[in-house]
Amino acid sequence: MVLDKHLNILDYALSSLWRRRLKVGGVVCVFAAVIFLLASFQMTAGALTTAATAILRAAPEITVQKMTAGRQESIPLSYREKLRSIFGIRTVVPRVWGYYFDESNGANYTVLGLDTWMMPDGGSLGDAIVGGRPPAAGEAVLGPGVRRALGLNGRKTFSFFRPDLSLKSFRVAGAFHPDTALATYDTLLVSLDDARDLFAIPGDRVTDLCVFVANPREIQTIAEKIAAALPDTRVVTRPQIEKTYRAVFGWRGGFASICLLTALAAFIIFAWDKASGLTPEERKEIAILKVLGWQTADILTVRFYEGAVVSLVSFLLGYVSAYAHVAFFSAGLFRPILVGWSVLYPTLDLVPSLSPGDAMLVLVLTVLPYLAATVIPAWRGSIIPPDSAMN
Amino acid sequence: MRPSCKLFMAVALLVFAGAAMAAMVRWREAGRREAARTIAAVSAMGVTDICVATEARYTRHPAVSDPLAPFMDHPGAFEHFPTGSFWAPVAWRRTASAGWGGGS
Repeated sequence: MVLDKHLNILDYALSSLWRRRLKVGGVVCVFAAVIFLLASFQMTAGALTTAATAILRAAPEITVQKMTAGRQESIPLSYREKLRSIFGIRTVVPRVWGYYFDESNGANYTVLGLDTWMMPDGGSLGDAIVGGRPPAAGEAVLGPGVRRALGLNGRKTFSFFRPDLSLKSFRVAGAFHPDTALATYDTLLVSLDDARDLFAIPGDRVTDLCVFVANPREIQTIAEKIAAALPDTRVVTRPQIEKTYRAVFGWRGGFASICLLTALAAFIIFAWDKASGLTPEERKEIAILKVLGWQTADILTVRFYEGAVVSLVSFLLGYVSAYAHVAFFSAGLFRPILVGWSVLYPTLDLVPSLSPGDAMLVLVLTVLPYLAATVIPAWRGSIIPPDSAMN
Repeated sequence: MRPSCKLFMAVALLVFAGAAMAAMVRWREAGRREAARTIAAVSAMGVTDICVATEARYTRHPAVSDPLAPFMDHPGAFEHFPTGSFWAPVAWRRTASAGWGGGS
C-alpha cells in the first residue's frame, strides 16, 4: 500500500519532469558534466596513485642526496665511506643521473648511469630488456620513448653532446620492454663512467647514493642515523616515496582545485536559481494539488523524487562516462595538462579506481547540495495557502 | 508502461553499462605481464618515480627533485609548466630526527 502510494507519487514526479523535459534535460546535462569532471579527476588520480605505489614498492630503500642552498647537487663519493660505520647497511650504490635535452626534437631524456652489478637486484634487469643485455662501457639501453625519439632506423650507434659540445658516442645494447614504459619510457641506461663522462661530472662525485639495508624494518632508524651522520643531505626513504605519490595527485593540486571550484560555482548558480523562488507555474501547480487534497508532505515528496531522479540519473551518466573516459580514452581530456609540453610521454592504460568512499565523496559534493537546493524552496512554496497562490 | 518502470530500466541499463566496462578493464589487465617486468626494471635500477610527464624535473621526479622547485628557478619565478597544475607540490620538511622528509 505504502509502496503503491510512493510509486504513484514517483510516476507523477516523472510526468512532471517530462512536461519540462527541455529544461530538465539541460539541468541533467550540466549536472552530469560537473560529476564527469570531478569523477574523471578522482579516477585518474586514483589510477596513477595505484600504479605508482604498485611499482615503486621496489624503489631503493634509502636515497641520499646532497643539498646546497636548498637545491640538490652532486654528492662526494667520500660520503659513502662515512656510511660504512652505520650498522645494518647492506650496500651503498652510487648513481649518476640527470636530464639530456635533445635539441633535434625537443625531448628530455633521463640518463641513468649505474653499474647494475652493484645493485642487489641488478640481475633481474634482463627481464626488462628485450633483444639485448645490460649496458657495458660505451653502451646504452634505450627506453621505448627514447628509441622512437632518436629514430635510429636500424643504426646501432648514436651520439650526445657533452657540456663542452664534444660528442660522446654510445652503442645500443638493447631496449627496455614496452611494458615497462611507466618506469623507463624516457630513460637511457648507461654505465656509471659513461654518465659521468657525458655530464662532465668529476670522478669523485655522483648524483646520489642508493642505500640498501639488511632488515627493511630498520629503514627509518638507519635513515635517521644517515641524516645525523651527514647533516647536509636529504635522506629519502621508500615509505616517503610512497607517501609522496599518495599526496601528489590529491585535491590540493591546482587543476583539482579548478575542478572543485567549477563544481562549487555550478551548484551556487543552481542553488541561487532554486532558492530565489518558485516560478508562477510551479506555485500554481502546488496550489492546485493542495486544493485537490494533497498534503504538504506529499508535495515535498514529489519535489524530493524530482530532485532525486535528476541527481541520480545525472550521477550515473557522469560517473559511467568518467569511467569510460579514464579506462578507454586514457583520460584524454586531461592529457594536455597531465603531460604538458612533454615531447616524450607514454601511453597510459589507466585502471580507474573505484571505491565506495570515492563515489560517496562525489555524491556528497554534488547530489546532496542539489537535493537541498530543490527541497527547501519546495517546502517554502508548499506552505503557502492555496487561495493566495491561485490568485 | 509506468514511467517509474522506464526509470528503473534506464537506471539498470546505466549500472549494467558501468559494470560491463569494469569487467572489460579487469579482463584487459588480467592478460598483462607488465607489472612483473616493470618491477624488475625498478628494482634493478633503483627507479624512484613514474614516467608520466617529462617536461619539468619536479613532475618527472617529484620524489627526489628539489623541494619547491617550481618557484626556485630564480627569485620571483612563477610556475609556467602546465603539468605543475596537475601535480601537487611535495611539502618537504626537515626534522631533527629524520632528516628531510616528504609529506603532504
